[in-house]
Amino acid sequence: MADSYALEARKISKWFGPHQALKGVSLNIREGEVHGVIGENGAGKSTLMNILSGKLTPDEGELYRDGQKVLFSQPIDARHAGISMAPQEPTLCSLLTVAENIALGAQSLGRFGIDWDEMRRRSVQRLAELDEDISPDIPVGKLNASRQQVIQVIRATPDWASIIVFDEPTSSLTMRETSRLFTFIDALRAKGRAIFYISHRLDEVLRLADRISVLRDGELVAELNAKQTDRDEMIRHMAGRTATRAQQTEKRPQEAGNPVVLKVAGLSRENEFQDINFDLREGEILGVSGLVGSGRTELGKCLFGVTKPDSGTIEIKGKITHNASPVDAIANGLVYLPEDRKKEGIFPILSAAENICVADLGAFRSMLGLSWGRMVAAATDYARRLGIRVESPRQTIMSLSGGNQQKAILARWLMRRCNIMVLDEPTRGIDVNAKFEIQQLLRRLTEEGLSIIYISSEMKEILDIADRVLVMSEGRMKGIVDPAKLTQEALLQMEMT
Amino acid sequence: MTSRKADEARTNVDIWVVLRRLLQLEASGILIALALLCVALTVASPNFRTAYNLAVVVRQASFVGLVALGETLVLLLGGIDLSVGNAAGFSAIIGALMLTSLGVPAWLIIPATGAFGFAIGLINGVLISWVGLNPFIVTLASGEVFAGLTLVVTKGYPVGPLGPAFTMFGNGSIATIPVPILFFLGAAAIFSWVLRYSRFGRNIYAIGGNRDAAILVGIRVRRVQAIVYGLAGLSSAIAGILYAGRMDSAEPAVGGSWLMPAITAAIIGGTSLQGGQGTIFGTVLGAILMAILANGMTLLNVSGYWERVVIGGVVLVAVLVDALRKQPGARLPRYLTFRRKT
Repeated sequence: MADSYALEARKISKWFGPHQALKGVSLNIREGEVHGVIGENGAGKSTLMNILSGKLTPDEGELYRDGQKVLFSQPIDARHAGISMAPQEPTLCSLLTVAENIALGAQSLGRFGIDWDEMRRRSVQRLAELDEDISPDIPVGKLNASRQQVIQVIRATPDWASIIVFDEPTSSLTMRETSRLFTFIDALRAKGRAIFYISHRLDEVLRLADRISVLRDGELVAELNAKQTDRDEMIRHMAGRTATRAQQTEKRPQEAGNPVVLKVAGLSRENEFQDINFDLREGEILGVSGLVGSGRTELGKCLFGVTKPDSGTIEIKGKITHNASPVDAIANGLVYLPEDRKKEGIFPILSAAENICVADLGAFRSMLGLSWGRMVAAATDYARRLGIRVESPRQTIMSLSGGNQQKAILARWLMRRCNIMVLDEPTRGIDVNAKFEIQQLLRRLTEEGLSIIYISSEMKEILDIADRVLVMSEGRMKGIVDPAKLTQEALLQMEMT
Repeated sequence: MTSRKADEARTNVDIWVVLRRLLQLEASGILIALALLCVALTVASPNFRTAYNLAVVVRQASFVGLVALGETLVLLLGGIDLSVGNAAGFSAIIGALMLTSLGVPAWLIIPATGAFGFAIGLINGVLISWVGLNPFIVTLASGEVFAGLTLVVTKGYPVGPLGPAFTMFGNGSIATIPVPILFFLGAAAIFSWVLRYSRFGRNIYAIGGNRDAAILVGIRVRRVQAIVYGLAGLSSAIAGILYAGRMDSAEPAVGGSWLMPAITAAIIGGTSLQGGQGTIFGTVLGAILMAILANGMTLLNVSGYWERVVIGGVVLVAVLVDALRKQPGARLPRYLTFRRKT
C-alpha cells in the first residue's frame, strides 16, 4: 500500500548533460526503518539523496510523502516536508559557535529576538543525546574533524525531521563516536523516524540497516534484507563481480636487501608527532596506519616540507636533507599526494593534460613558449600507461571520476620522476573497482623502483597493500609490524592503546 | 569548572601570552589604536579635546559611518559593494529634487530618500543573487551608472538651497547632540541588534561563513543577499541626504570620495573581507578613528594631500594586525613568535 510509506520515490531519472546519473530508480522508506543505500562512487547514491532532500530536481519521476505527491524545488521545500540531510562534507559555519551551528535557520526566538541562553541550553541537551560534552560556545572551526561531524549529525536531526538522510556520517568519526552514533540512530529509529544511511563501510550498513538498496551505474540493482545478506553478496551487487585482493609481490623489499631510500630518525613536531623512526627501501610500500588525530597526515606533510620538524633528521638516499619547502622536497625526489584531493590536489577547471603536466612545465618549453601539443601528447601517453579513462586529455579534470583524478595526480608526479611518494588516503572517496585498480597500479610502480609511504585509516586497505606497517597512535609510533602476521582487530588494538 | 581552572593556570604565564590574548579580543586592536591616537592628539594639539571639536569629529564620522554600516553587512555576507559612495550621491540628488521640485514635505524626505536608496541597492542585490553575477563587477558598474545619472540629472549643478525646515537634519541638534550623530548611532544600534538578535542577522553571518551550509539549513540565501545590498543602498542614501542637509544643497560630487573610507572603517573595525566575521561596534570605532585621523591632520596643519596616503597606510596596518591575530606563530618570523617551552 502506497500510503504506508513515509517517503516514496517512483522512477526517478536525472541527467547531467549527456550523462544519465539515475535511470528510473524507485525507492521507499517506512517510519521506524533504517534503509541502507550502497553503491560505488558514481553509482548515483548522492544524486538520489540530493533529490530526496530538495537539492536537485529530478528530470523524470515523482516523490510521494505519506502517499501525497510532492515537488521539491529547493532544500527548504524538503525541510518543510520534514526531510533533513547530514551531508558528507562538513557544511558548518566555522566562525559561529557550536550552539548556533546546531540551531542555524531555526534559532529560538524570545521577546527581544534570538534567545541566546535558550539556544545554548537546547544545544547542550542535543549534544548530551550523543553523549558529547563539547562546549556550546566554541567556534566550530576550532573543533577537530570528528567533532565537526558530530555537530553536523546533531544539526541534521532536529525534532521536526521525520525523514533523515545520513551521507557517510562516520567518515571522520573515531571508533567511540561511531558506536555512539549507532546507538543514537537506533534511538531515532525507535522514535519512528525514517532513516536513509549511505556508506561505503558495508559492516556499518549491515549493523544498522533493516533494508539495503544497491545502486550501480544509476540503476537500482538489488534490494536486500539486511538480516539475510552479507558483505560478499553486497559487494557482488555493487561491483557486478567479486572483488579480489591486490597481488602481493613474491619477495618483500626488505628481505631482498634493496637499498634504503629514506631514513627518518627521531622526527618530532610539537603537538603533532613525537620521535618517529623508520627506513623506507626502494620498491617498498610502507603503510602508515592510525586513527583520526594520530598525527599521520601531519607526518606526511612534514616529510614534504610543508611544516618544519622541531627535531630529528630526514635522510634521502644517504644524504641528510632539510626540506624547507615542498620545492626542496620535490627536487629531492619526494612528493606528497594530499588527503583532500579536491582542495589540495587538482586544479578543477584546468584540463586533465594540464593537471598532469603542471609540476613539470619546464619540460615543455619551446621557442614559442609552452608547447601544448607536447603536453597533450605526454598526458595521453601517461593516461594510457596508467589506465586513466579520459575521452580527451583536454577535458576538465573535474569531469573525471575520483579514481581517474587520483591516477592523473599520480601521473603528474611520475612525470617528475620522483622516487618517493607519500600518499595520504589515496583511495578516499574512490569506488571499489577504481580502488583495486589504483592499488594494482601502485604495486606495478614499486616494481619499477618507486617507494611509497601509504597513509590510510582503512585498516583492511593497509593490510592488503603494505609490505610493512608503521602504526601511530596520538602522535607516537607504536611500532612497525608485518601485515601478514596481523589481523584488523590486532591492528586496531595497537592504535587504540 | 574546567574553564575556571584554565583561567587560574593562565594567570601565572608570561606577559606575552596575556598580550596576545588581549590582541585576540575582537575590536581590541582598534580600541588600542583609538586610545593611543586620542592621547597623542591631546598632547599635540590643545584644540583637540574641546567639546566643539569632538562634536565636529563625530559628526564627520557619521556620514561615512552610515555608509560603512551598510558596507559592513555586505562584507559580512562575503560580498562587496563598490557603489555605496555614488549611491549616496545619487540618492541625495533625488531626495533634494523631491524637496525642491516636487514639494515633498521636509519630514518625509529622509524616509523617501532611504526607500529610493534601498531600491537601487536592491537592483545590485538582485543582479548578484538571482542572476548570479559577481558583486565586484556589478557594483563597480552600477556605481558608475549612479555617478553618471547624477550628472545627467543635475548637469553638474548643485540642487538647493534646501531651506531651514530640512537643513535641521544636517545642522540641528537634539539635546545638544547633532542630528546626524543620532542617525548614525541609532542606525548602529539597530544594525547591532539585527545582527545579534534576529534570524535575518544571524543568517548573514551564516551565509558569509559557509554559503553551502546556509542553503542546506534552509536559509533563503538569495533573498537575504538581495536585502543586504538593499540595506547598503538605504544607509548610503541616508548618509547622502543628511550631508546635503548639512550643506544646504545636494552637490553632485558628494559621495564619490566615500567608498574608500567606508570600506576602510569596516576593515579596521575587524570585519573580514572573506565574510562571516565582524561587528557593527568595530565599524563604528573604525569610522570614528578615520574621522579623528582626518581631524588630527587638520589640527596639526598636515597637508590635505597626505590624507589618502595615511588612509592607505592605516588599511595596510589593520590588515597586517588582523593577519597576525588570526595565525599566531604560524607564519611569523621566529623573533616575533612566542612559544611556551614544554
